Amino acid sequence: MNRYVFYNFMLVSFINLMLYVPHILIQYRYTGAVSSIVIGILIGTILVYLYTSAMARFPGKGLPEILKLYSPKWLVSIMMFFLAIMWWFATTVVVVAYAVLINRFFNPDANTIVILIMLVLACGYAATRSTLSVMFVVEIGLIINAPIILFVLFKAVRSTQLSWDAIRIVANYVTAMPTLSCIAAASFIFTGYINLSLFNRLLPPNFRFKFRFVYPLFGAMILLITFFVPIGFHGTEGVAQYIYVWSLTADSLLMQYGFIERVLFLFLLVYLNLTLVYTMSGWHQAMEFVKSCIPSYKPEIDSPKTPLSNYVIVGIFALLSVLYLVMTNEKINMMITSYWLIVRLFVEIFIVIWVFVLSRKGAKAA
Amino acid sequence: MNERIRLLFAEAVDIKLEVLHNSEMTIEIAYIAPLCEENKINDFIIVPFTKDFYPFESQLKTNPDYRKVDDVAKWQDLMLRGNVLIEADGIIYSFEASRIISIENPQTQVESAIQGPQLALSEDLNISLNLIRSMYPSADLSVEEHTIGSLSKTPVLALYDQRRVDPTVLDSVRTKLMTINVEMLHAAGELEKLLVGKRKHLFPTILITERPDRITKALSKGKIIILLKGNMFAIILPATFFDFMHAMEDDYDAYWMTRFLIFLRYTSIVLTITLPALYISVVSYNPELFRVQLAFSIAGSRSAVPYPSFIEVFIMLFMIETLIEASIRLPRYIGSTATTVGGLILGQAAQQAGLVSSIMIIVTSVVAISNFVIPVNSLSFAIRFLKYPLIGISIFFGISGVAVGLFVYIAYLCNLRSFGKPYMRIFGKLRPLEGDVGQVKIK
Amino acid sequence: MRLYIRIFLALFAVCLLGGCGFKDIDKRFFVVALGIDQSDNEKKPYRLTLQLAVPSPKIEPGASKTQIESIDSQSIAEGVRMLKAYVDKELDFGHCKVFLIGEKLARTDYQNLLQWMSRRRDIQSVADIAIGKPDAESLLQVQPLSERYPGNTLFLSFGADGTESSYTYVESVSDFSRRASEKGLDPLMPVIYKDNKESFIINRTALLNKKRVKLVLSSTESQLFNQLANDFTKSSMHGMFEGMDLVVAITAIHSNFRIGKQNGEDTITMNIKMRVVFEEAPKGLYDEQWRPIEISLNQEYAKSCIALLKKIQKANVDPIGFGLRYRANHPGKDVWKEWKSIYPNIAFKVNADIRIEGTGLIK
Repeated sequence: MNRYVFYNFMLVSFINLMLYVPHILIQYRYTGAVSSIVIGILIGTILVYLYTSAMARFPGKGLPEILKLYSPKWLVSIMMFFLAIMWWFATTVVVVAYAVLINRFFNPDANTIVILIMLVLACGYAATRSTLSVMFVVEIGLIINAPIILFVLFKAVRSTQLSWDAIRIVANYVTAMPTLSCIAAASFIFTGYINLSLFNRLLPPNFRFKFRFVYPLFGAMILLITFFVPIGFHGTEGVAQYIYVWSLTADSLLMQYGFIERVLFLFLLVYLNLTLVYTMSGWHQAMEFVKSCIPSYKPEIDSPKTPLSNYVIVGIFALLSVLYLVMTNEKINMMITSYWLIVRLFVEIFIVIWVFVLSRKGAKAA
Repeated sequence: MNERIRLLFAEAVDIKLEVLHNSEMTIEIAYIAPLCEENKINDFIIVPFTKDFYPFESQLKTNPDYRKVDDVAKWQDLMLRGNVLIEADGIIYSFEASRIISIENPQTQVESAIQGPQLALSEDLNISLNLIRSMYPSADLSVEEHTIGSLSKTPVLALYDQRRVDPTVLDSVRTKLMTINVEMLHAAGELEKLLVGKRKHLFPTILITERPDRITKALSKGKIIILLKGNMFAIILPATFFDFMHAMEDDYDAYWMTRFLIFLRYTSIVLTITLPALYISVVSYNPELFRVQLAFSIAGSRSAVPYPSFIEVFIMLFMIETLIEASIRLPRYIGSTATTVGGLILGQAAQQAGLVSSIMIIVTSVVAISNFVIPVNSLSFAIRFLKYPLIGISIFFGISGVAVGLFVYIAYLCNLRSFGKPYMRIFGKLRPLEGDVGQVKIK
Repeated sequence: MRLYIRIFLALFAVCLLGGCGFKDIDKRFFVVALGIDQSDNEKKPYRLTLQLAVPSPKIEPGASKTQIESIDSQSIAEGVRMLKAYVDKELDFGHCKVFLIGEKLARTDYQNLLQWMSRRRDIQSVADIAIGKPDAESLLQVQPLSERYPGNTLFLSFGADGTESSYTYVESVSDFSRRASEKGLDPLMPVIYKDNKESFIINRTALLNKKRVKLVLSSTESQLFNQLANDFTKSSMHGMFEGMDLVVAITAIHSNFRIGKQNGEDTITMNIKMRVVFEEAPKGLYDEQWRPIEISLNQEYAKSCIALLKKIQKANVDPIGFGLRYRANHPGKDVWKEWKSIYPNIAFKVNADIRIEGTGLIK
């Protein structure tokens, strides 16, 4: 059942393109992005190992239940509420960015808000389902889309347009000092493990994390491709002018004999699916965290009937997302995202260490 | 006895109430003539009684075919099921002489396979059981009888392998069968609706089949089979989406060919659901999606069409759906004529009249044909509906709407449960041996 | 009652959605090629020419119909907007695969144009870009005889699924915009001109710096450049051996280059490996020694390469990316300035290594 853990990891590492990670890194390409990537990989790997080994001690328990074992309820509630906001934000940024992207590339005449409402309704419906169902949707979404993404990435890396000289020029700047926002952006690729906070509930009691070495390898590969391929395509200078770096990179590719000729459309459709899946997973987790603040809350992974509270909470999420779109624009969204990435890094380190300490304590007590 | 029986039933000419005499004794017999085999009554009651080689009274006592009836309340029921009631010396016996009209050894028709068993289930429960028992000779096969329908009193058999069945599923099926409260029950489809319980469901979550090989395979996988008297179809539950996509021939034919066929089936599902919606979104929103040559030929063939693309789609889909519907109900000989007339002549004429584009004709026929590729009929019907919501969303949002619509379908499918088992789950076993996700029940 | 509320809500939603850019394909005019020239009018410096496809149900050679619209305007974006008033259907750039820049404009300044192209969402990065000579408008008026689809001839001339000519350098918008901003890699474009009314010739290549055309290569030079920069295999080579004319077809070519100091002098060393087959040669060549032929071919090839490279160097452009390689190999802040001082005086050395595979089907 290790594959269910890996799906989460893969999903988040793919979705980084939507969270402006390549854009942030490329902005700092001469001033510390490369060294930050190295440090990001290190931090990410350490966090993955710590968190998985901590979670392995609490089979079938989510983060709220683990924290409630050792800490006062009010503290856990505050913490969970805060985490819910973090999760909601991560996904809302993505879905809002995608609504704008659809507006740019697919339906230039349509109203972005109407598009967002459609996306939000679909994600909201999916997010209110039970945890088990959500996991299945994630699985299907990845099995359908991951091969296509890997194909596009592979095609990009193999393309003759890719200039290895440009990549080497940027890689030479490895000596520049790393910056915080770059480290935060780079380590985001590895952050899929944090979804275990909820999905650990699903894992069976005799579960063991296997093949953990795959996580850093896969993450590092995606991160390097994310950063270097656009540079190879658009040059060391030209790359900085684009807002949607990867959409433009995909547009530079051509499938000579494909049914869809322009890779861009394939890429956008696949990322639309991933965005929906990611938003669903994120909202579902945020929803469960909010629910865990309610005193009479009982965790349920596959309830036959959808509780009303699901609809209420996700409805609020959806409304807030639409509000977010109305109040921000592309520029503000990007700025907020880069700050959010930094906050996220620290929150995650905090959670991982907390749970890790609890797991050691529990082991000693037992 | 006969006096009381006359009171129990409404006035009916087909109820036979006779009094027989021989040298030693007098008996009364009562039966409903059309329900009984006259030969059997002659051979087992009238002839032995009148000839009287062997005392009929001791025959009644020794032969287990004559069952003693103590409860007056059961009389009605027994007679209605084709039993003969015999009164001798104040004791009532019943004798089963029912005559069941059914097709003798019916061939598989709905799900035919080139190889594999050609016999289908029978409308007679005994023959069906015979087929299943002989194909699944296991001591673990358990058969439970239930009766459903306050009026129809349909006997229903639940079959399962007692070692392999999932106890939670079995429990929930039992309680469902006990609590069903209807007057009439005749068809497996009816029972399916009652078992599922949801009023508005989009997908079938219970498999209905006529093939004994599918049934025995399901038994070996720990599923439960429900047989219904007077119905050639059995119900298999729990069922997953993938069961519906599985033709029995996939197990019989060459490996690579069947893998290819399975792939073909899934592709055609995707095509039949999305193609009309994609046509609208390509024609009306993103003509740049496909090759320029294709765009020009669509534009060229559409230039005569006066309506927007979605009206064109609705016209063609209306035509094809009515054609399919008509040819199902029509007798077989007329049916093929209807298809020819509709498919060839109408399609050609509609295109020449400039009502629809020639690309749209291709789209429609691909939609129709790929819909028939689905091996199980009930899923094929469900899938037939799925394209319409997608057409609706594509009118407003184009290609991105179609992608979102598909996502919602997948979420819906993943959320479905068939008796507590996930309906759509890739690489999941029904009864996993090792640990599986979602096994831990949190208290 | 609830039913009515539902229907009302559904209708309300539909009303909200209306007008989301629903536009049928037959209500769109596909722009298949866009030509941009410099006009004589000083207030309206740009002259835009749109080749619009007129789709027809019949698809056969010569059945393609196009409509040409042109306008002078102050800026490109405005011009496109104004052209909408000239036509009855919505203009759609989604299938615009060819951009022609008039020679005059290319010789002054192309940066504005490039900006516009990069900003528009519906302009494909994979579209091809070329210089039209003498101007883009007259080229778009050409109606090739065999054309099946509007604009097809131009698409096919560039794309790899049609003809693959060794004289044509294919430049896409995305590559052009990369080269236009990259330090150490300069843009280049094919030059198209027409011979008569019905066909195009694309056998010359223009080299540009970051602003305008600096040098136009002849057709032989273009082919040589394609071999050097693109490893273009479907090409041929002309040579002499002991007074005999030889033409060889290249079956495999591989080139790379190194920048380094040789004898205290900055030198670019190019190594070119080739496998060739004779296409035109005197009879009886099969029985001769091939090695001397190879050597003489090598020398001749190297000579013409150096001549081409020197010519490019003299124009102070760098389409092959020597500067980029230099930057990659020499990390440091001032490397770009260093290179700029080195390049005008750098020496070239070409090592050609031609291997003869055979003499074709006859001896």
